[in-house]
Amino acid sequence: MSTSLYERIGGEAAVDAAVDVFYRKVLSDPRIAEFFDSVDMDLQRAKQKAFLTYAFGGPNHYSGKDLRAAHAHMKLTDQHFDAVVEHLAATLTELGVPAEHIAEVAAIAASVRGHVLNR
Amino acid sequence: MHAEIDVDARHATLEFEGARYPLLPSESVLDCLLRHGVQVSSCCRSGACQSCMLKVNAGRVPPASQRGIKATHQQQGLFLACMCKPTSDLSISRCEAAPSYASRVVRSERLSEGVLGVWLERPNELEFRAGQFLQLSRTTDGLMRPYSIASLPEQGPIELHVALLEHGRMSGWLQRAAGENVQIRGPFGECYYQEQEPERPLLLAGTGTGLAPLLGVVRAAIHAGHRAPITLFHGVRERAGLYMAAELGQLARDAAPLRLVASVLDADTFELPGWRVERAALDQLILSQYPKLNAHRLYFCGNPSLVQRLKRGAFLAGAALANIHSDPFVLPAAVAA
Repeated sequence: MSTSLYERIGGEAAVDAAVDVFYRKVLSDPRIAEFFDSVDMDLQRAKQKAFLTYAFGGPNHYSGKDLRAAHAHMKLTDQHFDAVVEHLAATLTELGVPAEHIAEVAAIAASVRGHVLNR
Repeated sequence: MHAEIDVDARHATLEFEGARYPLLPSESVLDCLLRHGVQVSSCCRSGACQSCMLKVNAGRVPPASQRGIKATHQQQGLFLACMCKPTSDLSISRCEAAPSYASRVVRSERLSEGVLGVWLERPNELEFRAGQFLQLSRTTDGLMRPYSIASLPEQGPIELHVALLEHGRMSGWLQRAAGENVQIRGPFGECYYQEQEPERPLLLAGTGTGLAPLLGVVRAAIHAGHRAPITLFHGVRERAGLYMAAELGQLARDAAPLRLVASVLDADTFELPGWRVERAALDQLILSQYPKLNAHRLYFCGNPSLVQRLKRGAFLAGAALANIHSDPFVLPAAVAA
């Protein structure tokens, strides 16, 4: 029996290790940093954690509707979405996650593109 | 012969906003409240997003429901409703709920041209930590404003620093309110000293009366015998905005680990005993002087956009968000307009 992606990556401990690295990359990127100017950083970190748990294939109840509603007012483009996926992959590479697992994570992230970009 | 007690038949109950709700076996607090039609926010329902945070007032919540939340939030009894499957009765409330106490203005006194010190009678039942804040309301008409606590619980009357605003209804009234009755609700906020880590360096920065909670933290740290450096930055536009500078200077001379820096924008350099005086803006000053902040605990209070810049800068310099405590001072809508 094969183990889930979430277990292979390292579960909750992996999410905890990744969330600050990922959030710092996102905040340091001038292409997308402005979207985070007025947000509560503690809440935002918790949301990043929920997103990473989802992208790692972990337990969650994220729905397309939530994602759509949360991003609807932001007028995001493919470039913004790609930037975030790029940082996600870079974070996992930095933490030593094998490339084939990163590809799986990227595929899960890609599956929500339509919801995030409101189309 | 033994009396048969069916443990499963006796389910835990929740007490919430004056009503009681029986929990089903292994039901979460969130599911129970939603099943009964109570409006509670939630999102991921797996313990990550913290949208469903509530507060326990009596009873024990399982450790799993406090995993991953800030230590300061755990200390205040906050927990995640989606992860909480209680095995015994709980009394819970929304996070922002807090009891109200009757109090009285003991005295008020100018600390500078623009800042009023106000001392309130401390209600016996009110427990707080220096640096937290209260909602102060005038008993006669309910006019309400938040103020941070600069004093230790042990110090007797509660010390507040009130910015004197032009046409400020509350600040104007407080100048001549000695002896008047007030209501206080709270305490709120997580800007307070962490006693369990006397060896961690502290960096505190605030503008204007953002000094009040920081002074509370400094007093608590010194009181607890903090051993690592404590550096306090006070940012003001003009020299006249500084207050309690002499008292703080004295505190720094008496308490070895305390260092003081004043950031004064519109002034030539001047001497202030016990202080280093700088002309740079607070965030530039701090973020250029401290490229790495992963070892510090940080406290930022006052001007909201400055607090946000400092918080982001400190996080990017390696500080964990759980080690950054901030209190943006938002002006009442009527004043800001």
